[in-house]
Amino acid sequence: MSIQNLNTFDPFADAIKGADDDVQDGLVHIRIQQRNGRKTLTTVQGLSAEYDLKKIVRSCKKEFACNGTVIEHPEYGEVLQLQGDQRENICQWLTKVGLAKSDQLKVHGF
Amino acid sequence: MDGEDFDPTLLKKKKKKKTFDLDAALGLDDGSKKEETKEVANEDATAANEIDDNLDLESFGKKKKKKKKAINLDDLEGALPKVEGEETQGEEKTGESMDADEGADVDAPAADYTYDELLKRIFSIILDKNPEMAAGRKPKFVMRPPQVLRVGTKKTSFANFLDIARTLHRLPKHLLDFLLAELGTSGSLDGNQQLIIKGRFQPKQIENVLRRYIKEYVTCHTCRSPETILQKDTRIFFLQCESCGSRCSVASIKSGFQAVTGKRAAIRAKTT
Repeated sequence: MSIQNLNTFDPFADAIKGADDDVQDGLVHIRIQQRNGRKTLTTVQGLSAEYDLKKIVRSCKKEFACNGTVIEHPEYGEVLQLQGDQRENICQWLTKVGLAKSDQLKVHGF
Repeated sequence: MDGEDFDPTLLKKKKKKKTFDLDAALGLDDGSKKEETKEVANEDATAANEIDDNLDLESFGKKKKKKKKAINLDDLEGALPKVEGEETQGEEKTGESMDADEGADVDAPAADYTYDELLKRIFSIILDKNPEMAAGRKPKFVMRPPQVLRVGTKKTSFANFLDIARTLHRLPKHLLDFLLAELGTSGSLDGNQQLIIKGRFQPKQIENVLRRYIKEYVTCHTCRSPETILQKDTRIFFLQCESCGSRCSVASIKSGFQAVTGKRAAIRAKTT
């Protein structure tokens, strides 16, 4: 029988493992902004820098049939910007593709 | 039957309690008026009272065991301030009769009623006899709806903004910051102390945002009681609960990334 106290135990083992399987850390903020008339804009802030935002926006544009762009911001990093109210769509899509879990998404706005 | 005997007495007691409740409410009104700002309307105090009642009722509703239910009823009665001698006796009697009733139930396992049925019945009786409780029982917070009107075509006015901030016991500035950050617009308080927000918003949308504010910054994260204080401690906001004593930090309000929606030419002209 082995002595339990002498077993080596790595306290960070699970932390290292956790970092491997999902790159996304922190919240993804999904916001909506009103433009002129009844037009709106959806911004997605906080996606991990490891993701290729350009590829994401390309497939989002196709999926939601809207235009969109990636904006470089000095403070918030790369921010996705989509035309129209795509909050529902982007939430579903991000979870479906597996880029972020549903509890990492934070939807703002009305 | 014991139960049939028990019912009418209960109803009577409830009625008594109801009338007494009103008195207590009035008394509380005066007290809270003195304590708080003199401007606070009667409605506010009564609303607070209702909240109290609701909370009591909720904890009462959540209990699953019979014994506890009886105890809680007592608590409820105890919670009513300054009960006169005669009435306390009467109430105790109801409690005792209830206990007796339960005892009978336990003794006779072949009782006709299940616990759920009895619970439903007592709640329906309570609701029948105190209709004013029925409306406020479900939501934890009794709040007046936000009055949201369109000002012109591009702006929205939030008329009772200060009232709402006051009923939530939050600084108007904090609520304003949250609203504007969440809606992603700009706005300000005008001369009549109403909030003017840029953009078109429906009352329902404002209500949604308010609900989120209440969830995050008003109700206690542990016990969900709305009796909380928001304190600022070295740049971090803490939510201190009055009823359970828990203290936890809440997220700071950040508006985050704001896309350019205005006219770029105008912005360029401003900066240069």
